[in-house]
Amino acid sequence: MIKLEGVTKIYSTDSIGLRNINLHIKAGEFVSIVGQSGTGKTTLVRLLIAEERPTKGKIVIGDWDVTEIPSGEIPYLRRQIGVIFQDFKLLPKKTVYENVSFALEVAGEKSEHIKKIVPQVLDVVGLGEKMWRYPKQLSGGEQQRVAIARSLVHRPKIIIADEPTGNLDSLNTVEIIEILKKINEFGTTILLATHNREIVNELRRRVITLRGGEIVSDEESGKYRL
Amino acid sequence: MHSIYRIIKFSLQDLGRNFGLSTMTVFILILMLLSVNVLWGVDILTKQATSLVKEQINISLYFKAETTDKNLEEVQKYLSVLPEITEMNLVTRDQVLDSFKNRHKLSSEVLSALEELKENPFGPTLIIKTREPQDYKKILQAVDVPEYDALIETKSFEGNEEGIEKIQNITNRIEKIGFGLSALFAIISFLIIFNTIRVSIYTQRIEISIKRLVGASSWFIRGPYMVEAFIFALLSVSITFGLIYLALHFLDPYLSIVFSNGFTLTNYYNSHIILLTGIQFVSVLLLTFISSGLAMRKQLKV
Repeated sequence: MIKLEGVTKIYSTDSIGLRNINLHIKAGEFVSIVGQSGTGKTTLVRLLIAEERPTKGKIVIGDWDVTEIPSGEIPYLRRQIGVIFQDFKLLPKKTVYENVSFALEVAGEKSEHIKKIVPQVLDVVGLGEKMWRYPKQLSGGEQQRVAIARSLVHRPKIIIADEPTGNLDSLNTVEIIEILKKINEFGTTILLATHNREIVNELRRRVITLRGGEIVSDEESGKYRL
Repeated sequence: MHSIYRIIKFSLQDLGRNFGLSTMTVFILILMLLSVNVLWGVDILTKQATSLVKEQINISLYFKAETTDKNLEEVQKYLSVLPEITEMNLVTRDQVLDSFKNRHKLSSEVLSALEELKENPFGPTLIIKTREPQDYKKILQAVDVPEYDALIETKSFEGNEEGIEKIQNITNRIEKIGFGLSALFAIISFLIIFNTIRVSIYTQRIEISIKRLVGASSWFIRGPYMVEAFIFALLSVSITFGLIYLALHFLDPYLSIVFSNGFTLTNYYNSHIILLTGIQFVSVLLLTFISSGLAMRKQLKV
């Protein structure tokens, strides 16, 4: 599903994002990428969604060679991957419904389908009652649930979550992880970049640990160790 | 079809939800267009005024009394091929005499002296108008040939030569200043529009990058801004011309006093409305398209 071969990302001579990363993530896995701040977790996410290009190596997601992807095809790749960010990245001038429907509208989905599916997805994340509110009228946890709904709505095979609980309290953190676990149960591959020890230890799934831009451990049922 | 409908929907949504910013953008565009139109109006008025002055300048060729109709026809035929001449009017001997009598109707001495002569002492007069004041020199040279010396008594333009040159100099200067001001205004306008649009897009840079990360294509992101640019151009040009016509309603009565030939700016705008609105609409549209395209380039790299 996701394959990285000798991936290196160098920003400048004294700023190396990732060094020689070799990784294979199978379909349906729930993988946590852990490490302290600045170890390359976000760089990895950025490379996977083609926000940045690797300096060296090859990245393959499904049938896409992300390393060689032309800029015109990047939007099509991103429509196949759901991404959740720490700062939610919601469109402030759009309602909850519009934020979620936007992901389908850009993909050219029919209006009838959008009208049917968006409320269903919002019900799944518990925001069916608040679909006409604007992001600023929601709590942090609710905003992140909107972001999850948006990443989920086009039924992606992969969801990449970059510190999705970084701005949330413990109660909301638990709720978000529970939603991600549910999504994974339906067969979606989840890639979770986090430095939250409790979450990783509680998940008991595959854990990849990064340090200084390198993979220092990759355990099938791992724990948070630095 | 879906995409076009959605792009229009998003652009209308953006306009409504960024009402303050949209209003400010249209307001700045109107101010810029008003400045351009003021300059344009001043240029038209200057041209109109100078052409009015030019029209009042002409050459009069005073022929000798013994000049025959054949001689006159020959001179007229000779001059009629000159492209510089726009109009020639012949005042016959009788008309000159009538005009003279009319001018001196209160002076009995002059009239009795004329009676004593028994015959009309005046020759015919040919009044010539040219396209440009500087063309008078060419006409002067054209009639300054030996065969016409015997026919032409005097020429009235020689005394006006200095005045004509002054008018020509003033007109040339005004044209140069007008061109310079227009160029300056064009640069200022471009910078104002460019910065207005850039600020407008800069405030939405995070939204643009989010749309990009969600999978929106460049066209899907640019589209609403293009529709907005179209609406901005349409609104600003319409409001500007509404304001111009309102201003002309008050200005034209004063202009009609200055321009005795019936010239009014309202008539000018009416007869050039498609050209004027067309040029300004296309210019604003192009400027906003280019400005938004340049301003968005960075954001679309995500």
